[in-house]
Amino acid sequence: MTDSDVVTVRGLRKAYKGRVVIDGLDLTVRAGEILGLTGANGAGKTTTVECIQGLRRPDSGTLSVLGFDPVTQAARMRPLLGSQLQDSALPDRLRVAEAVELFAGKQARDGGELLDRFGLDERRKSAFSSLSGGERQRLFLVLALLNRPRLVILDELTQGLDPAARRTVWDAIRELHADGTTVLLVTHEMVEADALCDRIVVMRAGRMLDSGTPAALVARHANVATVEFSWPDAPASLLDELGGLDGVRDVKRTGARITVQGSRATIAHVGAVLVRHGSVPADLNVHVPSLDDAMLSLLNGPQVPAQAAPDQARTEEELIGGRR
Amino acid sequence: MNAMGRLIKAEMKLMVRDPLVLTFVFAFPIVVMLIIGGAFGTKPTPGFDNTNPSHWYVASYLTVTIAAGGLVMLPVHLASYRERGVLRRFTAAGFPRWSFAIAQLVVGLVTVAVAAALLLAVAAPIYGIPTVHSPGRVVAALVLGTIAFLSIGVLLGSLLPSARAAQAVGLLIFFPSFLLGAGGPPPNVMGSIVKAVAGPLPLSQLTDAVRDPWLGIGPANGALIAVAAMAVVATVIAARRAAL
Repeated sequence: MTDSDVVTVRGLRKAYKGRVVIDGLDLTVRAGEILGLTGANGAGKTTTVECIQGLRRPDSGTLSVLGFDPVTQAARMRPLLGSQLQDSALPDRLRVAEAVELFAGKQARDGGELLDRFGLDERRKSAFSSLSGGERQRLFLVLALLNRPRLVILDELTQGLDPAARRTVWDAIRELHADGTTVLLVTHEMVEADALCDRIVVMRAGRMLDSGTPAALVARHANVATVEFSWPDAPASLLDELGGLDGVRDVKRTGARITVQGSRATIAHVGAVLVRHGSVPADLNVHVPSLDDAMLSLLNGPQVPAQAAPDQARTEEELIGGRR
Repeated sequence: MNAMGRLIKAEMKLMVRDPLVLTFVFAFPIVVMLIIGGAFGTKPTPGFDNTNPSHWYVASYLTVTIAAGGLVMLPVHLASYRERGVLRRFTAAGFPRWSFAIAQLVVGLVTVAVAAALLLAVAAPIYGIPTVHSPGRVVAALVLGTIAFLSIGVLLGSLLPSARAAQAVGLLIFFPSFLLGAGGPPPNVMGSIVKAVAGPLPLSQLTDAVRDPWLGIGPANGALIAVAAMAVVATVIAARRAAL
């Protein structure tokens, strides 16, 4: 751990009734970064952030969040966190403005301004139960940002948001980032992770599979670009030329359809060859490797020992505020 | 305002907006008291320990408001919060560990006090308010009983898995307690088996501890001690369960 680390997790292990959900996880969130935590369903992402928030007591391992131990110093740590939890709610009859008033501590920002910014100004007097899914998510974000947190934890933040609302939320997160706030973002949306995150940690079955910048993950796990087009009477010289290009790994011909696979640079080289041959096929299709491809590659890779999905066990373990 | 104050303020508003509270804690005891309070007339009879039956029921129904608050209102409220993740949100937001339990106690006490005042206000012009023979004992029993039943409510709300389950179990406990321990026939007309079942019920103990010193039937020392013991034990356990 260094002074610039906001969260350090070492050897975290958590099981529910004997079923291992987190299995020796190491994780670091550096000051001022947006770290994306992603992985398949049941990978242990939510349990991990619940341990970081002090909502769950780990079976073993050590955690430090803003210099505090979430297990023994939760009361001092939580006022410094802004949390948007998965699967939580507010009282049905609580109105939007009352929720802001309820959650606003001494250092709170102007709640009205936040409501206005997230398009909830006209819903101030509306009961929580009357809000749409997207409005609820935006209200949760308002509450998470209200008390000028040093670390913001957002779990499935943009789930249920329409594209415009999603953009508004992304802009808000970018502004937080620009202000130096550290963000831990749990997401299944690779477009979101790619757009926002400085680094991404990929989890499966309670373990970290890999971590890195979005570009690094793509380079490591999805570095195959594909160019496809039709050329009914393609001369053999064309295929030979394509096969000899820098970065090309494979050239296939199926009837009139030609598929070229290789590095990203392949796209430019193939384009140049086609121009030189005086034809750019109308059905030219280019697939650039994406973070989605990297995730699929990672998650479909060699299996680590399978573990049960934690949801049922987690529900059974719930007490009033969640067992710590 | 600090976190505790903000929580109490919000919970007060929510309580007033809750139809279950309005109907079950405020309206139900009043309506049933009006009906049954007039059913046996006003002439003192041995079945009512030689007191005016209407006054017997006016005194008894104060405890019905307490039981309705503790056995039905609070468990449903709490189980609903837990089921939907509201409590986890409070926890994650850094509300002090005991703030929710204390807020529920304060809101419950105020709710019961308002419900009791309404009941007496409605009873006064119709049946009259019976003279309170031992005010100190009556007040002590009411306060301790309210704390005890609210704590029982917190326990039920923390143990039952959902709001529906809390409502079902709460009503299942409430109605037999109500009929045998406060709002039904007086113990003197019950059969021996029913009387034996009714006697030890928490609501029977509370009703005896309130009604007997109020109407001058007796000090009800045993009942008052039982209510005090319930208050202490239930509060200690409930406080641990209700910590965020």
